[in-house]
Amino acid sequence: MIGFILRRLLIIIPMALLVVSLTWGLIRLAPGNFYSDERSLPPAIEENIKRKYGLDKPVYQQYLIMLGNVVRGDFGDSLKYQGQSVNEIIFRHLPYSATVGVLAYLLALFFGLTAGIIAALRQNSAFDYGSMATAMLGLSVPNFVLGPILVIVFSLWLFWLPPARWGGISNLILPVITLSAIYAAYIARLTRAGMLEVMRSDYIRTARAKGLDEKTVLLKHGLRGGIVPVVSFTGPALANLLAGTVVVEKVFAIPGLGNIFIQSVLNRDEPLTLGIVAFLSILIMIFNLVVDISYGFLDPRIRYE
Amino acid sequence: MFLIRSGKLHPVYALVVLSSLLAGCGGVASEGFYGKTAAPGDNVLRYITGSEPESLDPAVPTGQPEARLLMSLYDGLTEYDPRTMQPIPGIAESWEVGQENTEYVFKLRKNAKFSNGDPIKAQDFVYSFRRALDPELAAKNAYLAHYIKYAEEYNSMRSFVRDKSGRFLLESDLNGDKQEAAPGTQPQADANLSEFRKFIDGPMRLTVPSDEKSRNAALEKNPKLKSLVEGAELVPVKAEDLGVEAVDDYTFRIKLKQPAPFLLGLLPHQFFRVVHRGTIEKHGKDWTKPENIVTSGPFKLKEHHPYDRVVVEKDPNYWDAEMVRLDGIAFYPLEEQTTMLNLYKTGEVDAIYNHTVPAAWVDSVSKFKDEYMNHPEVAIEYYTVNVTKPPMNDVRVRKAFALAVDRDAMAAFRKTTQPLIDFTPEGLFPEYEQIRSEVYARELKKIGSSLDEWKARKFDPEKARKLLAEAGFPVTQNGSGWSCPNFPVDQVEILYNTNDNNKSIAEFIQAQFKQNLGITLQLKNQEWKTFLNTRKQLEYSGLGRAGWIGDYMDPMSFLKLFYGPNNDSSTGWTKPAYDKLIDDANREPDPKKRFEKMAEAEFMVMQEQPVLPWQTQKTNFLRKPYVKGLYPNPGTLHAWKFVYIEQDPAKWDRDVETIFNVKDEWVTGHINRLIATQASLVEREEGYKTAGKFGY
Repeated sequence: MIGFILRRLLIIIPMALLVVSLTWGLIRLAPGNFYSDERSLPPAIEENIKRKYGLDKPVYQQYLIMLGNVVRGDFGDSLKYQGQSVNEIIFRHLPYSATVGVLAYLLALFFGLTAGIIAALRQNSAFDYGSMATAMLGLSVPNFVLGPILVIVFSLWLFWLPPARWGGISNLILPVITLSAIYAAYIARLTRAGMLEVMRSDYIRTARAKGLDEKTVLLKHGLRGGIVPVVSFTGPALANLLAGTVVVEKVFAIPGLGNIFIQSVLNRDEPLTLGIVAFLSILIMIFNLVVDISYGFLDPRIRYE
Repeated sequence: MFLIRSGKLHPVYALVVLSSLLAGCGGVASEGFYGKTAAPGDNVLRYITGSEPESLDPAVPTGQPEARLLMSLYDGLTEYDPRTMQPIPGIAESWEVGQENTEYVFKLRKNAKFSNGDPIKAQDFVYSFRRALDPELAAKNAYLAHYIKYAEEYNSMRSFVRDKSGRFLLESDLNGDKQEAAPGTQPQADANLSEFRKFIDGPMRLTVPSDEKSRNAALEKNPKLKSLVEGAELVPVKAEDLGVEAVDDYTFRIKLKQPAPFLLGLLPHQFFRVVHRGTIEKHGKDWTKPENIVTSGPFKLKEHHPYDRVVVEKDPNYWDAEMVRLDGIAFYPLEEQTTMLNLYKTGEVDAIYNHTVPAAWVDSVSKFKDEYMNHPEVAIEYYTVNVTKPPMNDVRVRKAFALAVDRDAMAAFRKTTQPLIDFTPEGLFPEYEQIRSEVYARELKKIGSSLDEWKARKFDPEKARKLLAEAGFPVTQNGSGWSCPNFPVDQVEILYNTNDNNKSIAEFIQAQFKQNLGITLQLKNQEWKTFLNTRKQLEYSGLGRAGWIGDYMDPMSFLKLFYGPNNDSSTGWTKPAYDKLIDDANREPDPKKRFEKMAEAEFMVMQEQPVLPWQTQKTNFLRKPYVKGLYPNPGTLHAWKFVYIEQDPAKWDRDVETIFNVKDEWVTGHINRLIATQASLVEREEGYKTAGKFGY
């Protein structure tokens, strides 16, 4: 078990470097650069900029310098936002994304699991059909549609909630609901399917035959097996939620990491893009590891070699 | 696996579609305002400013969002008049212009202070200018200052050349034209002049690149230069060689290498605003952090939360603090148009930056007459013509194309523009336009035409067809339409950079040519960088999309595009007579005569039609009626010290279409007090009075 975890942790380093290298190559292939804009620069000024940022060096040297920085965990300064280091930017904006993300995650878990379990237990009932239809709707309506609809109803018609920006709890309500909807829907459907399968399996019949009450059967035996698919879905999902989602951050003007990530690509802000990519890839690999470890606790049949 | 999952790739389009569907649903408040309208009680303006500022260092950023924000934090020698964007006194109380528009001497006010209480002196401006031009700072805006003597040379890391006898070589040594001295060059007779003054007012020294590789390349190209430089000593141009000088603590002098009568209008640009030396030297790149920053403007930095807000508060140390009415401004960096309009409608913000109402919304939003700003801007849209290739090398063909597009219909289609037939934007330079129509009338009479005929160029398909026929491409009636079988459509195309908006405009123009001339041109689009290169190298055939925004409030900012044999017009058009007119205009001290020369130049270029002007852009933003002093000026750059929040609804702005005809006693009084120290500006204001502008 410990050997397994160590091995997986060690793989993260070369994987992250590979991801960063590929991203670096893609950025370099993309047309344009961070200092170009509508007005063409006089050549001498362009020279000044190239000299200042080391772009006058041979490409392989630039790559090695970049790689060296990444290994030391120092991505340098943003090219667009002068005087701000990449690490500073990531850790300044992560909390905004994480707050919205974790709240949306909890909300999605609560509604998804509850609806999924009840629907599974009362298969083919009105609740089952109703909740699964709602979940289908939640899956089909993308958040860039749901968000504006919520804003129109609750901000522009009723004037109950602010339509955007960071602030108090009232500012959080709409983005959290918008973000959680699709995850809640997924979780509900996965839970229902998982529970239906598990509740028909032999070990549940055995548990019932032992004379256990239905509550114990359901929560101790049924749920543990039933939520395995949910766990494998929500692990990486949580990583994404933590790191921010572009659409919700844009619609609700949240100063989160997702929006900054996209902006950094559009700005060709190489160090910032690389920093966020490295951070995200490590985050996702760690969450995947956590998910893999948790399988062992949920399903006794799974062993780690 | 990563952030962009399928279905999220086109959120922007989806938002626009959705919001345009729902735009009509918005209710009109009973008072006829757009959404919740109540003046904020705390006297802090909440303004959506566009993208997150690159930096709070005025020398660094190039964007408009930063320009507006930095105008609150820093003060310059001159400031923009909030109504016209013409220069008015800032820290410079008054000035004198001399030596054929190459010398500017500013008298600074003695009570100007930084936010930490330090006095602002001429030496601070010397430092700010030198620092902004430092090649190590690598400021993109540095080109704005290249008119200053040796600024370009210092910024581009060039070196003076000193020969064996210890004499610095001059540009005239290379060019050999010793007869005509450079403009503004003073004879060196006055023995009392300082060494610096002798050097800076003397003839322009020769410079070569300091970098060996570029220098050798330059020398290879020019054998005469090579023979001059060989064996000579190279002396790098230093910051101290710049044409800026603190004559005394409160006298600042700028010496230019070429006449630039528009310099005063350029100086309010953030690039030229004054920064605090001690803070920059102490904190290095961290000097703009909220805990370190020292500023010079009407407001000082209170908080900076990137991507969320930049809050500034009134600075009691500011020299004009008693006239600053806002207690603070909260700038919200936000670019999502739907989101900002939602915030506006729910009353969470008081004003939004320019070009923010999506085209699909304009019809419904522009009904709010007290809030929607729709005024001409110092920006134009046009097509360039590659005049080096047939059939576009024939001026008659170029004119035919210019006449064949219905510009009124185009404006109705574009929604946020107005028709343009000349090259300088219309409605922004009234004094110039006045003189221009006189010059045009005179010039047109010479060629047997009239001003009315000239104005009909807005759309004249009849004449267009006639011109084409004269050029050898007869247009014949073909059922209900026209056809022009001889025209080589394979040699002319419309090139634009890839963008939905550009495409729809190109299609509109394509349809107009087809409808009115019977010529169907091919459209071709290229990615931005590639497009720029194609256009500049004249590798396109026919027409190319173009737009131009003035750097400063002067027609010269547009006319300079055609100046010189390697000009920036991307048309291949050049004419020594034109360059001569521009040179003469630049040296001309009398503004009226200067405008005459410029009008002659504009007439010359429009006669030859290397460009097809289409539209002048118009502002497109919302501002609550209680926000006063925030005018839709031609660059939408707002001098914040004139902005205030009016609590009394009876005094709110009504029908902003007429905002420039209504007198705001407070703003006008404030401006009149500031310009009292500069006679030329008082004269300008008198001109507004005579013309009955600004509610006089």
